[in-house]
Amino acid sequence: MAIVQPKSIKYRLLATHLVMWAFIAVIAFPLVMVIAISFRTGNFAVGDIIPTNPTLDHWKLALGMSIQNADGSITPPPFPVLRWLWNSIKVAGISAGLIVVLSTTCAYAFARLRFQGKDLILKGMLIFQMFPAVLALVAIYALFDKIGDYIPWLGLNTHGGLILAYMGGIALHVWTIKGYFETIDPSLEEAASIDGATPWQAFRLILLPLSVPILAVVFILAFIAAITEVPMASILLSDVNNLTLAVGAQQYLYPQNYLWGDFAAAAVMSGLPITIVFLLAQRWLVGGLTAGGVKG
Amino acid sequence: MADVILKNVRKNYDPAVLKDTLRNIELNIKEGEFIVFVGPSGCGKSTLLRMIAGLEDITSGELSIGGKYMNDVPPVERNVGMVFQSYALYPHMNVYENMAFGLKLKKMDKETIHKRVSRAAEILGLVPLLERKPKALSGGQRQRVAIGRSIVQQPSVFLFDEPLSNLDAALRVKMRIEIAKLHKELNSTIIYVTHDQVEAMTLADKIVVLSPLKESAESNLEQYGSPLDLYHNPSNKFVAGFIGSPKMNFLDGILVEIGLDKCKIKLNSGDIVTACVDARRGKVGDKVELGIRPEHLVPVDHPDAVGRLSGQVQVAEHLGAESFVYMEVDGKDFTVKAASEIPVDTGDTLEVGVPAQACYLFDSTEQAFPRTAKYNRT
Repeated sequence: MAIVQPKSIKYRLLATHLVMWAFIAVIAFPLVMVIAISFRTGNFAVGDIIPTNPTLDHWKLALGMSIQNADGSITPPPFPVLRWLWNSIKVAGISAGLIVVLSTTCAYAFARLRFQGKDLILKGMLIFQMFPAVLALVAIYALFDKIGDYIPWLGLNTHGGLILAYMGGIALHVWTIKGYFETIDPSLEEAASIDGATPWQAFRLILLPLSVPILAVVFILAFIAAITEVPMASILLSDVNNLTLAVGAQQYLYPQNYLWGDFAAAAVMSGLPITIVFLLAQRWLVGGLTAGGVKG
Repeated sequence: MADVILKNVRKNYDPAVLKDTLRNIELNIKEGEFIVFVGPSGCGKSTLLRMIAGLEDITSGELSIGGKYMNDVPPVERNVGMVFQSYALYPHMNVYENMAFGLKLKKMDKETIHKRVSRAAEILGLVPLLERKPKALSGGQRQRVAIGRSIVQQPSVFLFDEPLSNLDAALRVKMRIEIAKLHKELNSTIIYVTHDQVEAMTLADKIVVLSPLKESAESNLEQYGSPLDLYHNPSNKFVAGFIGSPKMNFLDGILVEIGLDKCKIKLNSGDIVTACVDARRGKVGDKVELGIRPEHLVPVDHPDAVGRLSGQVQVAEHLGAESFVYMEVDGKDFTVKAASEIPVDTGDTLEVGVPAQACYLFDSTEQAFPRTAKYNRT
């Protein structure tokens, strides 16, 4: 606070703020537009930012309610949007949870244990992760088709299958958590083992409680990725009732009739679970958990 | 309480790539002794401690604690307690939980745990801090918690891995005294690793001096004995140079006269020095190295000053109670610790007396000749 600043700092500060506000506006604008479309009468992509005749019709349809048209006819909701939302939350929540479990244990092995081929596997994981899973869609389809013959609840058109597919993408999470584990002094676990802890106890009682922030980060990232993922889900799921919101919302858009308004309402809704998870996870995103344990 | 016996212990981290870290370590540590491993960095002293703790495996050789063969026993069953250099406190637990952690794992009942933790907290003066997390403690307090965590386990052997190296000088002296008191109180076997020879000299019943292993050497265990034994009768030049502060001075020369309990050495500078050393194992004309401790040198008019050396003063430090004079004798650094102020300055020539009883003598393989006298400057 006490550093003496030159006079021009005022203007530079002002300029910085202007740039930042402009940047925020650019980022926020599309979101504002989508919200505006969802309240606009009719299904138009362009129009006023603040709708002149705001209507709740799109939201009513999205929330599963019928609407009465001006001519007295009744339009039933075309798609089970709420069900899609629930599917999304279920798939994203379960797969994010399993991803955290898998990648944590995996990262522990890479960070702490000595075994042959460790470097090779680590680098291999990173390199394989570089090929987008989208390129393997055909293979994934064929694989799950076959799996379904033996284990029906993991086959095509099941949420189990989709969750299993999402769990394939943990390499980056493993790297992230491994990096965090390596910042924790191994003498903590050595002390625990002298205190009588098994490796599992040292992991669960010492290492995990100290790693909560990074686990929260990985959970959020995995959750967001699963909620917004389209290609894999669109290939694996086919039943209208089974779709996730990200895939289902596209049903509003077909060449003969782009239902922009209904689509926008569904899109805004798909942002809700992410926001809620973020708010819930925030309390775990704290630093300084390992402070005071060791002195380097 | 238990003996610790090491037989022919060797450690090699990766035989394909690396040479041995430790070789042929033979130690017989008796119950209740305070043993200090000391040596320069890289000599394997911490490795040896970790092998006793069970945190490193033993490449070959045999380790027994309390008469039981321990090579393949996991740390917890060795009944040892360890205090780490980094303290290694569990950051998410308070002081009480830190100390109780091991006891809880052993499924002891709450009352016993409470009794033991309270007792340890009392001994270490931690009672008012029991609810605090490690990050709210000072360095010395953290160190005490780390010690407390091993006390509550009531181990038969305590292992300390450079416990004081992270503390500031004043706190280090204080904790050193506390550890000495603790040993008196608990009366258990303690093995303590340090690179600080003052800690070693003040704490130890016996000192183990280790050196970085040379490829040809049979062992890097240089000497195992009481502190004063190491000071007065070092078995070789390495121990002589390592024990004592400031470091011992070494001068090259050749044996010119060998007697029953005395010999004469002609230094390269031409000076002849008489030493109370039994050099009968060598012969006249052998190359030898003379060792003299800085604190054993006397003024030339001192009655003990049998031999004389002179050199050019490089730097003189006057500390009040004593003075250190760093000079060059025969092209080698030579330190004199004078009892009081001596009026010399850079560039002066200083002559000092060498008492015959104060001399150490080493042969060309750096092994010591037996001394026939001890010297304490009066």
